[in-house]
Amino acid sequence: MRELWRRLRWWAHRDQFDRELEEEMRHHLALKAEERGLNAAHRQFGNITLLQEDSRAMWTWRLWEELGQDLRYGLRTMAGNKLFTAMAAISLALGIGANTAIYSFMDAIMMRALPVRDPEKLIIVNWRSKGQPGVVHDFDGSSHVEDGVTTSGNFPFPAYEMFRDHNHVFSKFFARTWGGHLNLVVDGQAYLAEGEYVSGGYFDGLGVRPSAGRLIGVGDDRAAAAPVVAISYSFWQGRLGGIADVAGKSISINGTPFTIVGVAAPEFGGVNPESPGQVFVPVHDMAAVELDHYLHLPEHFTDGNWYWIEMMGRLKPGVNIAQAEAELRGLFAVWVRGTAKTDKEVASLPRLFLEEGGSGLDSLRRRYSKPLFILMAMVGLILVIACANIANLLLSRAEIRRREMAVRLSLGAGRLRVMRQLLTESLMLSVGGGLLGVVVAAVGIRALTLLLANGSPDFTLGAELDGRVLIFTLLVALATGFVFGLAPAIQATRVDITPALKETRASQARLRVKLFGARFGLSQALVVSQISISLLLVAAAGLFVRTLRNLNSVNLGFNREHLLLFNLNAAQAGYDEEATKQLYADLQGRFRSIPGVRDATLSHIPMVANWTSTTDVTIPGMPAPPDELMTAVALVGPHFFETMQIPILLGRPIDERDREGGQNVAVVNEIFAKKYFPGVSAVGRHFAFGGKQQQDVEIVGVAKTARYSSLKQDIPPVAYTPYLQAGKARHVQWMYFELRTVGDPLALANTVRRIVHEAAPQVPVADVTTQSRVIDRTITNERTFADLCSCFGVLALAMACLGLYGTMAYAVSRRTGEIGIRMALGAERRRVVWMVMRDVLVMGSMGLAIGLAAAWEATAFLKSFLFGVKPNDPLTMAGAVAILVACAVLAGYGPAARAARIDPMKALRHE
Amino acid sequence: MEDRSEIPPGTLYMLILKTLARLGSMHGYGIAQHIQQSSDDVLQVEEGSLYPALQRMLIKGWVIAEWRQSENNRRARFYKLTPEGRKQLSRELREFERVMAAIGRVIQPA
Repeated sequence: MRELWRRLRWWAHRDQFDRELEEEMRHHLALKAEERGLNAAHRQFGNITLLQEDSRAMWTWRLWEELGQDLRYGLRTMAGNKLFTAMAAISLALGIGANTAIYSFMDAIMMRALPVRDPEKLIIVNWRSKGQPGVVHDFDGSSHVEDGVTTSGNFPFPAYEMFRDHNHVFSKFFARTWGGHLNLVVDGQAYLAEGEYVSGGYFDGLGVRPSAGRLIGVGDDRAAAAPVVAISYSFWQGRLGGIADVAGKSISINGTPFTIVGVAAPEFGGVNPESPGQVFVPVHDMAAVELDHYLHLPEHFTDGNWYWIEMMGRLKPGVNIAQAEAELRGLFAVWVRGTAKTDKEVASLPRLFLEEGGSGLDSLRRRYSKPLFILMAMVGLILVIACANIANLLLSRAEIRRREMAVRLSLGAGRLRVMRQLLTESLMLSVGGGLLGVVVAAVGIRALTLLLANGSPDFTLGAELDGRVLIFTLLVALATGFVFGLAPAIQATRVDITPALKETRASQARLRVKLFGARFGLSQALVVSQISISLLLVAAAGLFVRTLRNLNSVNLGFNREHLLLFNLNAAQAGYDEEATKQLYADLQGRFRSIPGVRDATLSHIPMVANWTSTTDVTIPGMPAPPDELMTAVALVGPHFFETMQIPILLGRPIDERDREGGQNVAVVNEIFAKKYFPGVSAVGRHFAFGGKQQQDVEIVGVAKTARYSSLKQDIPPVAYTPYLQAGKARHVQWMYFELRTVGDPLALANTVRRIVHEAAPQVPVADVTTQSRVIDRTITNERTFADLCSCFGVLALAMACLGLYGTMAYAVSRRTGEIGIRMALGAERRRVVWMVMRDVLVMGSMGLAIGLAAAWEATAFLKSFLFGVKPNDPLTMAGAVAILVACAVLAGYGPAARAARIDPMKALRHE
Repeated sequence: MEDRSEIPPGTLYMLILKTLARLGSMHGYGIAQHIQQSSDDVLQVEEGSLYPALQRMLIKGWVIAEWRQSENNRRARFYKLTPEGRKQLSRELREFERVMAAIGRVIQPA
């Protein structure tokens, strides 16, 4: 304690201490000099400053004091080099900011755990198969195809019951499926909410507690149970205003009465972070709620070939995921074998696998994780370029500060001490850059959210700068400071003191070798690495830009311009089936007579919107052809082909004649015709539709092949059938209307709203958009990539050019004397320019060679994001090389020209 | 001159403390001189270790310092033992003797 007090007192009087210590030394020296003579005394005494420092050091918490000194000194140095500091801070801010922004998305998507008990114990059950598995006759849910392998988390309900009752690895096993938008009425007030159908064990299995009332239990999820639902906390507070007597309240869902039994814990919004659930309905009440689709058929719960339910389990203590997978895989293999009806189905059975479910269902992760990894790699590379730049600037500054370093070292400063001081300066820079980077990131996150959402109203992914992201930023900033600061610090302290003090230009001892006649040192190596990384990013940008261009120039088979799209759902507004059909037919007529509308039609899904509706097709008296692609269906109204401008090649289009009760008809595309009726005309032929209730359908026309659901995937065989003839397979509920307009389609939106309001005031006009926007939305990833990568490419180029320019300019300024001598001895200016440019070209070509080799390997990772262009596309590579060469020459020419302008006399005098 | 030995590590504090115990109060140069002379020029105290050591001892409270006129009329900083310093000296001496005795036993011919 007293020791501390003494130290503090010393701290208060440290100036006096310094004076006294100095005086003491003088006294000592004087006494010694009397005895032995002045020189001997000095020689023996040694380094007075160091001695004083050491004596001083006894008093202080040395590290802290030195840190303080370093910080003060660093601030002074930074303030003294405003341009350098600004440039370094800005490039760091861009680099760190971009990294933080992308990381915040990764964090939001991949690392945020569900707000449930022990999320790390949760497991998701999935299957995968090569191609489309034949045992899947009907499918509702989401599947994902990559490299010909289909993966999905949707299973038949009997499979769920089998797993639930027969597994030994899970303590809880439960299921859910997406409920879509549900129409709710509470206390006479209507709401639209996101629904989730859950099994009785859902809340118990997840370990979610109620914040009011109780949650759905096993007893509620039975065919005969009283109809109850639970709601989310945010729905209760946000939409229902947190009403007190929420438990026990009546609620109508799509017209069916239910009772709210309780509210889930705050924060909990279901297990799919992509679309948070607001209303939780027992899965057995699905039939009562679903107006649409064939979902209310009783087969739903018994059909082993109908894939729709998603399952999660909670591992028993001591069981790991591999053990659980082994058991479930065995169970499923036996079970699914029993559902296969034909040899073909046996040949392509799906195989089960498990995934960790702690952060919820992974549709979101699957969609965004790979793009985010690629973006993360890119911003990482940009940060590397920024680091190289700053390292280079520091290197040349270290050169300027050689004298300072030499003085410090000769006065007895330890090398480590000087290095630490230089590193402190670097870290100050990088932390400053990191702070600015947070601002950049905040802007970047907002921009990226807009870019990714691309106008989609359901984009719920909230990336934010939370504590974890900020810690990441801090770590990145410190790491960068260390990375770019270390090399210059080492170099700076390798000063050969004596010549440095004499300070002649010829006496620089730098680590360098000669390569192809060019001087090659650390800073040159940095420039080479910058050029190669830039090439990588520019090449990637080129590939994505070309992908986007290819996608935009895909031949759609119909005219995407001047098409207005919107959605009507009369059934949800209380119309019965007949009235709905009547209304839609009536409206279609009214729309067609709007001035400025050429034609109008309707279809059950919009075209090229990543929506697919598939069915089984059988041809009487013909063996089923190999099933590469399932046949897709579009339920359309009259004038569909005229409105979309899809040419009919044979036969006739669908028109007003094709009504309910008449002969079922279809127009098929060329691919359908070729697949099922090769070599003969398909018109007049019959086929059967659907798995359960088969319908006989006559082909009345063949349409030119048009894009169906996606720009990228192969076009499937498509059967266009009248929506009025959909019959039992699908109740007419909501339909998309397509209006071919003369001018800007959106200009007619209000006219459409007025007409719909006049005809059916209760039916809202939803999702008003244009066909072009719908298509654009399907290529959001590609567009995002193209935009971001172009930005990244330009940024990388700019930084690399800056690096090259700086290095060359510095090299020229150092060689002023040499160049002056050469010129005095008769070297032509042309040769001087060449001398500098040769260095540029050597660095450039080395960078390009390395970059090309890297690009050759690295672009293969981009394969699944490219369209119409190969990863190693020679044209793109050549273009990228050309851009880089041009930039390198441009950046190098300035210093070269300056070298040529050197006046030999001045240069020599300066020497 | 050439035959001077390094001061064994850890004993510098003890030597300084003992010197001050003997001389009462002394400045840095005098302490170094005293150690050198009383060791018959075998032990030489480097200034580089002496002054940091003195500072350390000030922190520990073993010595106090005051400015006084030296014998040849110069202002000098004189160091003096504190009671704490005396205790420390006897501690260090005991420890040193213990170690010396132990070393002696090891190197003595059996």
